[in-house]
Amino acid sequence: MSRRYDSRTTIFSPEGRLYQVEYALEAISHAGTALGILAKDGIVLAAERKVTSKLLEQDTSAEKLNMICAVAGMTADANILINYARQAAQRYLLTFNEDIPCEQLVRRLCDLKQGYTQHGGLRPFGVSFIYAGYDPQRQFQLYQSNPSGNYGGWKATSVGANNASAQSLLKQDYKEDCDLKEACGMAVKVLSKTMDSTKLSSEKIEFATVGKTKDGKIYHHLWGAEEITALLKEHDLAKGEDAEMG
Amino acid sequence: MDTLVAQYSRPLFENEGSSQEEQLELIQTLPPLSLKFALPPIAQPSAFLRATTDDHSNPDCPIKIAHGTTTLAFRFKGGIIVATDSRATAGNWIASQTVKKVIEINNCLLGTMAGGAAGTMCAGVTPQEGPALYYIDSDGTRLAGNLFCVGSGQTFAYGVLDAEYSYDLEDEAALELGRRSILAATHRDAYSGGFINLYHVKEDGWVKHGFSDTNPIFWKTKLDKGEFSNVTSELD
Amino acid sequence: MLEAREFPPIFLCPVCKAPQLITSKYASTFLFIYQPPKSCQEVLLGITGKDFTLIAASKAAMRGATILKASDDKTRQLNKHTLMAFSGEAGDTVQFAEYIQANAQLYSMRNEADLSPSAMANFVRRELASSLRSRKPYMVNLLLGGVDPITDKPSLHWLDYLAALAPVPYAAHGYAQYYCLSILDKHHQPDIDLERGLELLRLCTDELKRRLPIDFKGVLVKVVTKDGIREIDYDDSKQVQSA
Repeated sequence: MSRRYDSRTTIFSPEGRLYQVEYALEAISHAGTALGILAKDGIVLAAERKVTSKLLEQDTSAEKLNMICAVAGMTADANILINYARQAAQRYLLTFNEDIPCEQLVRRLCDLKQGYTQHGGLRPFGVSFIYAGYDPQRQFQLYQSNPSGNYGGWKATSVGANNASAQSLLKQDYKEDCDLKEACGMAVKVLSKTMDSTKLSSEKIEFATVGKTKDGKIYHHLWGAEEITALLKEHDLAKGEDAEMG
Repeated sequence: MDTLVAQYSRPLFENEGSSQEEQLELIQTLPPLSLKFALPPIAQPSAFLRATTDDHSNPDCPIKIAHGTTTLAFRFKGGIIVATDSRATAGNWIASQTVKKVIEINNCLLGTMAGGAAGTMCAGVTPQEGPALYYIDSDGTRLAGNLFCVGSGQTFAYGVLDAEYSYDLEDEAALELGRRSILAATHRDAYSGGFINLYHVKEDGWVKHGFSDTNPIFWKTKLDKGEFSNVTSELD
Repeated sequence: MLEAREFPPIFLCPVCKAPQLITSKYASTFLFIYQPPKSCQEVLLGITGKDFTLIAASKAAMRGATILKASDDKTRQLNKHTLMAFSGEAGDTVQFAEYIQANAQLYSMRNEADLSPSAMANFVRRELASSLRSRKPYMVNLLLGGVDPITDKPSLHWLDYLAALAPVPYAAHGYAQYYCLSILDKHHQPDIDLERGLELLRLCTDELKRRLPIDFKGVLVKVVTKDGIREIDYDDSKQVQSA
């Protein structure tokens, strides 16, 4: 029945839906879970890494711009968007000699994404992002965007497979004035519950944080394997490693 | 009686200039005067001079006459302060940092130098006139006055000097103001710099108050008094 | 085939004798850079203090040997806490200033936030730099005074018609540079209050009245603080005594 309306992104169905956009959203829900939590002194992004083959060189799904962002969906599409965002951020820096405010960068990306839902002959980008960033105006900020070009600011959010359950767990556990350390703990707990595999290890998840050093400098940090392992151990979730060792 | 008259009717300035014999000697040792000057091979020598030396009409002129300088002099109740920098430039080239731009004419009279067409100043004290200050330039202008600054750095010196000048300044304050005005000019004018040459002309003649390097004075002024706030002192 | 091009004559500024047209060889083409005529006689001054930035601009609008107006406002407000003062070629100044003003307002509308003074200065510099490399460049000298809306820190940016930009604690354009910078070198401190700032401004304008051969008809004074921009009553009637 939807055949007549879903082959083109630019055509509304009689129910007022854009099927291609919905299919793009569907594509994302097959990707690994990614989540972000806003703390009072920083932001944590955590993502499930789907290991397709032991032989495959490990890739990451976190990207650094002026902000950092977690990617869920089609990596190839994401690369195009990330490249675009980096260019936009640098162009802003060139004109104003100042980092682009977070929301402006997110909006630039979303304007591009929106364009692909309206112009004929093109398919929408099959990616959702969670963005974490800092600017002096609005301090730490967490955003999420999807293929339709919609975006919103969040205190805690998730995308990808099982995002519904992740979202409700976050809603349950989120504390208004948690610090970054507590947020990291919350992230790893939520991830452990939403992931299919029972055992967690540094190969299966990724972590990234935005925070402030003691002397007030903003840092963007993509975690190394040892740091993730240490966090898992701290929260007693490093079952994988125990099993392997045992 | 005749001897008495002869004694008092000698030429007034007998000892000034050269004697008859000396003058004769000078003339005879000079090459004979001749109208065969070696003239530049052009129609108008004055235009040629301008083309080769005038920076304004021809920025590429081959001969750069030394223009840059800062000199100042002002009258106050304690006499006259005379201060200069010590830099000599030829175009962008600093030819010297140790030029003495104050000419000690005699123990009661000082002159200041500024290169090219810029003016000079005469500061002196006489029993008749008291402390007197004149501005003189190559056009033939002669102005008597209380306060003059001359040279490429004149405006910077005027700025500092005018802001705090008063005829009733004490000696120390007047000397400091003169010093500080030259410092201001050496800081902002690239063609002024080197040392601050400072003089005080009093009733009984002039007194020299040093020939001091601007660099330590600048840093002392900045760090002790917090002036020159646009200059950073920390390296980072 | 190269096009025959007419070279404009070189005019000298009647006051400073500086050529109003500088030609320089740039690759195989000639690049013409006009010095803003008469702009050396226009006064722009800027002074920052602990919580304010003062901007003063001469009130005379001069054309040739005539003063057309004695109450000209050579400033434009760009947003709540950024003020731009300009001097230079007639026409270019207001055109450029209002172009920048419109862009600043567009930014504020789009982003529900104002550009910071330093971001604004860099934006203006970029616009001026790209104009400089066009067929008919804007010939404008600028001062940008502001207070950062986030940190409340005052700032002052100096820009000339060659698109050189410098953040400075105090600044001037035209002949005012020659007379006032040495005064400010001596008397300015970064932590001064507004009252002291106005005293310094008085030292500067008095000196200009005393030494400049041309009457600039006094200055219009505006102050930028964290609360916005306001004009300050500034008495210009006083006759200045010369030493």
